[in-house]
Amino acid sequence: MSDKVAILGVGMTKIDSAKKDQKLDDMVFEAASKALAQASLDREEIDSVVIAACDELDGRCISSMLLAMPAGAYLKDEIKVTDDGSYGVILAAMRLMTGLFDLSLVVSWCKTSEAPLSDVMSMRWDPFYHRGIGMNHITAAALMAGAYAERHGISSDIPAKVVVKNRRNGSRNLNAHLRTPVTMGEVRLSPRVSWPLRALDCAPESDGACALILASPRRAKKLKRDAVRLAGFGWAADSYYLGERMLWDSPSLRIAAGKAYGMAKIKEPVAEIDAAEISDFTSYHELLAYEGLGFCGSGQAQDLIREGITAREGGLPVNPSGGLLCSNPFTAAGLFRICEAFLQVAGKAGDHQIRGATKALAQGSAGFCAQGNAVFVLTQ
Amino acid sequence: MQAAMAALDDAGMTMEDIEAVVYSMAPSEFLGVNEPDRWCVDAVGGRGRPFMRIHTGGATGISAAHAGFYHVASGLFDSVLVVGADKVRECRDSQQVLNTIWDPLFERQFGLTTITMAAFQAVRHMQIYGTREERMALVAVRSRGNALNNPVAHLKGRITVDDVMASPYLCWPIKKYDTCPSSAGGAAVVIVSEEKARKRCTRPAWIKACSEVANTVFLGDQMGGMAQMDFADSDILAMAAEEAYRQAGIRNPRREIQTAELYAPFTICELSMVEALGFCRKGESGRLNEEGFFSMDGGIAVNPSGGTLCANAIAITALARVCDGALQVMGKAPSGMQVRNVRHAVCTGEGGSFQFHAVMILGDDD
Amino acid sequence: MKEMMTLKGGWNVKYNYAVGPTGTRFFKALKGEAKIIAPKCPKCGLVMLPPRSFCERCFVPIDEWVEVGMEGTIQAFTVVPVKFESLPDPPYAIAYVLLDGAGTAMVNFVKNVDLSDLRKAAKKLAIGKRVRVVFEKKRKGTIHDFHYELLKP
Ligand SMILES: [Zn+2]
Repeated sequence: MSDKVAILGVGMTKIDSAKKDQKLDDMVFEAASKALAQASLDREEIDSVVIAACDELDGRCISSMLLAMPAGAYLKDEIKVTDDGSYGVILAAMRLMTGLFDLSLVVSWCKTSEAPLSDVMSMRWDPFYHRGIGMNHITAAALMAGAYAERHGISSDIPAKVVVKNRRNGSRNLNAHLRTPVTMGEVRLSPRVSWPLRALDCAPESDGACALILASPRRAKKLKRDAVRLAGFGWAADSYYLGERMLWDSPSLRIAAGKAYGMAKIKEPVAEIDAAEISDFTSYHELLAYEGLGFCGSGQAQDLIREGITAREGGLPVNPSGGLLCSNPFTAAGLFRICEAFLQVAGKAGDHQIRGATKALAQGSAGFCAQGNAVFVLTQ
Repeated sequence: MQAAMAALDDAGMTMEDIEAVVYSMAPSEFLGVNEPDRWCVDAVGGRGRPFMRIHTGGATGISAAHAGFYHVASGLFDSVLVVGADKVRECRDSQQVLNTIWDPLFERQFGLTTITMAAFQAVRHMQIYGTREERMALVAVRSRGNALNNPVAHLKGRITVDDVMASPYLCWPIKKYDTCPSSAGGAAVVIVSEEKARKRCTRPAWIKACSEVANTVFLGDQMGGMAQMDFADSDILAMAAEEAYRQAGIRNPRREIQTAELYAPFTICELSMVEALGFCRKGESGRLNEEGFFSMDGGIAVNPSGGTLCANAIAITALARVCDGALQVMGKAPSGMQVRNVRHAVCTGEGGSFQFHAVMILGDDD
Repeated sequence: MKEMMTLKGGWNVKYNYAVGPTGTRFFKALKGEAKIIAPKCPKCGLVMLPPRSFCERCFVPIDEWVEVGMEGTIQAFTVVPVKFESLPDPPYAIAYVLLDGAGTAMVNFVKNVDLSDLRKAAKKLAIGKRVRVVFEKKRKGTIHDFHYELLKP
């Protein structure tokens, strides 16, 4: 029997470009209800709720005020983090590990269609030294992508291959936002948005909500059925000042992965992990993540792509769901990664199931150039 | 940064000793920077460490302290820094921002703010319990008087009930002196495991309980009709307190608690809250306050620091409650502000439409 | 350094809030039929205003609607005599009113009260006073399509 937190169920809305038919509350209620249904639980049985959301994108200055109720928090112990959906799982898991709670609902959402993402993102910059330069999330990501490509001499074919791989994966995922595969030629011909990024190198902007139910080790022990365990997790932050960072690397991801692997007793990630759902905000970010997650040495991510290791059929499929390049409900993206990893380990991923997956990894990231990173290992 | 350094200094620690950082940051629109926690990662030692931001509106500070407690109580960490800062005054009119906390389709249009919300609570308290404006005023008088002993309070001074009554109405029956100021400030606490605390500190403040309860955003659900509670009463706080008392093994709060640091941004809130905390029966708080029960030398000293009415840098106000409560238990409050023989201090935070209530109980070594 | 600098800035972000099916139905009834309709929880029977697509208490979706009365009772009120940036021009009175047949109170302006003397206005608006719903002639499908008026000003 395990002393780990268990995951009992997940709920996801369909991810779309603009969910105009749903008020934000409706979307959140749908996700929370679906998670409860999958876990065969009643809201009454839940004793704690963790919300992960971004006020500025929700267009409500304390967005949990309106959204705590659709997230199931009426008269419950509720708390909110802001960084990324995946941070909700960190906080919920720690709460369950204290022994004060038994069943926790974690909910995250984002309706990028209701907010001008670029305007909100440029407000992330400090008003004194950065904001005037006109940088947003895409230009910041481009700085990182460019630094990485330059450092390791990556030809643009490699990130293009990442796009083709993830878009092909996404075509099998009924829940994905972009479900049409693309060719190398289409990636190459798509317009430049910010050097070296082309339009197809970048994640779309999507709407979606998701929820997940966690059980304390104590509660999990009482379960009759086998449950998916949260075997390990870790998180860390990098500097805000891009000038102080070596943008071709992601130290916070290395730290986060190290902690998660330590907790889950993983020594050889490539050999042990059956599927990974990571935050490929751009195709270059997926390559960077391979290195941060220890899938390969520095500058060697291109080999994993060339050899097809991270393809669906490879030894370590990455983003079988299509990842962010197919669906990017911004703040909620990290929690979607964990939900997808859960589906893989639980054998419930449908057409995009990786056969026999028993260990999956999920990565959430937040901030400019993936300033904050969180890593999760899920096992059967 | 300043707050973080001061907290570490007080704990006899350096940033090297800290394993994780929790950042306390409420709505970012006052500062005018989206997700300002990321900007501050470097200033508070978050670089290379686990770092997360907590945001539960006005309750943020205490929720962040709760999160710090969960970091340690989960067994994953031995020492965590909880820190934040806010500059509400850098925004021209904070109530314009606070209007956007309401539903955009049904409620924002009526100029709802946090002050109108206090007015709704006040008119119901007045209607149900016969509470008078003068009795609310007396809360401001005591708070500003207490704040004279608090070197870091923003508003302080000897004022009279007449002064409060003569201050201009903002939303009837709430007057200027019934409300909190817009402040700038920073705060930090260091939370460590029991083993570490015993090594480091002769008289630490032990975290005996953490609890937080959420209610609906809609005020109209809490008045008449099929309401399950009344907006006059802070019933959500009562629920959070009941759980906290259970965790802390407190049976008779009125006797076992010596001081309380409450997040009460309006005078009416404090009257409603002390009732919810079980310090007295519903409707009695105004009279007891007049009799001095909540004064420095009364039965339970409420807000010896002056509380939120004397300083409100929103993101850290509830964290300041925890700081001040901890100082009381540790016996380190400034002279005049220190309550005698504190064994239990209750700290609270309140966020949203008075809908999130958080309680932390700090105690000495039993 | 005696004189510290400040930098002026703004926060101009425009949003498009999706109204969703529940709000759309409510606003259409306001605009088209001059009616206030409210969803009713199939489990606990709560008739809720503002309308919601689910019951917060029972956590079940709602598809039943009922029409509520055109009169109601004040549950809470305030009068605002001062100007806040971007908020309505003062003075104005707002009240939470429990409309007959509804289970929760909904806020709107109360427009037929003399607000020149605050204390007198507050007395007139007391909790328990009856008000009626008054619809605007030209309705746009927003919450401003109606307001409240005291039955006995
Ligand atoms: Zn119901």
